[in-house]
Amino acid sequence: MKIPLLEIEDLYARVGDKEIIKGFNLTINEGEVHAVMGPNGAGKSTLSYVLTGKPGYEIISGSVKFKGKDLLAMSPEERAREGVFLIMQYPVEIPGVPTSTFLKHSVNAVRKHHHLPELDTMEFIKLLREEGKKLGIDNEMLKRPVNVGFSGGEKKRMETFQMSILKPDFAILDEADSGLDIDALKVVADGVNALRNEKRSMLVITHYQRLLNYIVPDFVHVFADGHIVKSGDKNLALELEEKGYAEFVREK
Amino acid sequence: MANLVQDIKLIGNEILWFRQLRENGLEAFGRQGIPTAKTEAWKYTKPRNLNTDDFVIEFSLDEKNSCPKVPFDGYCICFSNGIFNPAQTKLPQGVEVLPLIEAVMFNSETRLFLGKLTDVEKYPFAALNSSYMNEGVFIRIDKNVSLKKPLVLINHTTSGNKNLFFNLRNLIVLEEGAEAEFVEYYTYSGDVKSRYFANVVNEVFIGRNSRLNHYKLQNEAFKSDHIALTTVQVKRDGEYNSFCLQKGADIGRNETRVILKEENARTNVDAAYIMNGWATLDTTTDVEHLAPYTYSGQLVKGVVGGDAKGVFQGKIHIAPHAVKTEGRQLHKALLLTDTAEIDCKPELEIFADDVKCSHGAASGELDEEQLFYMQSRGIGREEAKQMLIDAYLDDVVNHIANEKIKSWFKENIQAK
Ligand SMILES: Nc1ncnc2c1ncn2[C@@H]1O[C@H](COP(=O)(O)OP(=O)(O)OP(=O)(O)O)[C@@H](O)[C@H]1O
Ligand SMILES: [Mg+2]
Repeated sequence: MKIPLLEIEDLYARVGDKEIIKGFNLTINEGEVHAVMGPNGAGKSTLSYVLTGKPGYEIISGSVKFKGKDLLAMSPEERAREGVFLIMQYPVEIPGVPTSTFLKHSVNAVRKHHHLPELDTMEFIKLLREEGKKLGIDNEMLKRPVNVGFSGGEKKRMETFQMSILKPDFAILDEADSGLDIDALKVVADGVNALRNEKRSMLVITHYQRLLNYIVPDFVHVFADGHIVKSGDKNLALELEEKGYAEFVREK
Repeated sequence: MANLVQDIKLIGNEILWFRQLRENGLEAFGRQGIPTAKTEAWKYTKPRNLNTDDFVIEFSLDEKNSCPKVPFDGYCICFSNGIFNPAQTKLPQGVEVLPLIEAVMFNSETRLFLGKLTDVEKYPFAALNSSYMNEGVFIRIDKNVSLKKPLVLINHTTSGNKNLFFNLRNLIVLEEGAEAEFVEYYTYSGDVKSRYFANVVNEVFIGRNSRLNHYKLQNEAFKSDHIALTTVQVKRDGEYNSFCLQKGADIGRNETRVILKEENARTNVDAAYIMNGWATLDTTTDVEHLAPYTYSGQLVKGVVGGDAKGVFQGKIHIAPHAVKTEGRQLHKALLLTDTAEIDCKPELEIFADDVKCSHGAASGELDEEQLFYMQSRGIGREEAKQMLIDAYLDDVVNHIANEKIKSWFKENIQAK
């Protein structure tokens, strides 16, 4: 039996005066990986911010349920603690805050929410080391301030690393592949695949079919002009690679 | 003014030179009075209604207070409510610490230093402090003595309802080649709602090739006034470094004047302030380069929330013959609310050629993108803000050489 994890119903949202999400519908069940592809400016990042609660993104109408709860009523930190994670297209730099300090606050905030004891320093270091090995994140990187001076590829690896530490129930990957060389793409994809299981779901936003060779989706959706215009299986991605988005984009 | 100047009999008046200092102070204060908004040096920081408050000056401890602890090893010198609270501190060879009044009476050297740096005609509260000179310490570090542990002066206010007015006067003398750390810690305990007024004056003599690292934590109770002036003279190859964190008081002013008197004298005057509510916290500096090859650096960073006001007045003066001198100054502030305010007045007076001088000021707000990023990882918004505040102050706090003292300041920044 399929258990819905995320249910987006007839969502409309705007940034400033501009309506960007227009009648978006999607249900993601436990364990499913959905890929979303669409032209630049379609509203993919906007959707990811709406789902994670970024200030400035205003819901006009519609609803989003996560594990049956009203996601839109939660603060960004509550959503994260409940198990929503976003790999950002442009990860933010935070000078002065060492990555390891940041991660410790993050991990413990999530644990506290689930009534788990905070990790002590030894346990925490062990966790960082284990997950870091898989993604090529070393101690030196963890000492540096969050994302400061990291290359584009390093930032994406760091995002994936954070995800593998927090082990969210639902992850949005907003162009996790952009800026990655081929080797790094494999590392990130392996990191993502290692997290796949029958409970955990993902929404993979990408422009390139190539990523979907590594992270094979259950469904592929074409996102244009604020909503899904076509859905299919992984073959739809191949089709798009060939034909582009021309048939979905209205003449302006 | 009537309540600040009270007719009281202080011991030590039988010593002529000392009485003269007190009288000079009183007269100088009489000429200046309490600064008003028209007083240029005080145009941003208005001392509270000092005339109407019923201030009380006390001479003895009505109860024995235990001295608050600091989380590092040091030689503690304790005051309670501005009154010396003798405690057993074993001092190593080569250091002398005396209550001021004992030094005046029994150590003839005191006369050579006391009052020699403080310009009572320019600093009204220092003049007032001089007229009440009684409590404080005299610290002298012998030639070539290097102290292993910091000297820690703690004043602990416990007066819950009496509006105490107390004057502390400290004199610190480092002889040639001496090295020491000096910590000043102003704090309170219990429910202190009184509008007490702490008026502190320090005079610091840095001998040739000697070095003092001076740290101060001002964590006074929320209705108090804390006004402090430290005047420092640095001789050849000497170094005076200070870091002051102000986080308490209703009106707090930490004023530092450093006179780089001889060649190659150096100073770093750093500070941080962090406040909410309606407080005004003022950091005022005046670095005087009087000799060639002198160096000064000032880094002051503040975090202002609520309806509070941060003030920075920073002056660098380079005398005509003080060539090859370098003076740097930077003030940065983070405003947490729309009603928080910053007043910043940098002032450069450069009369010499061939000097390197710079100053800068910037203010900003917490970055919403950064806050959201942290929240999206589960960190609560308030916690995220605190982390960004810590990060903001990190560089200035990292100037502190002593690791334990550095962590103490970091904890105090977080505890606000
Ligand atoms: N703060 C904002 N103010 C005004 N318009 C905005 C704002 N943020 C996004 N937009 C607009 O919303 C539209 C959707 O942007 P979004 O970033 O969601 O697109 P995207 O599908 O992720 O594109 P890409 O593939 O280039 O990443 C764009 O036209 C963009 O210019
Ligand atoms: Mg995007």
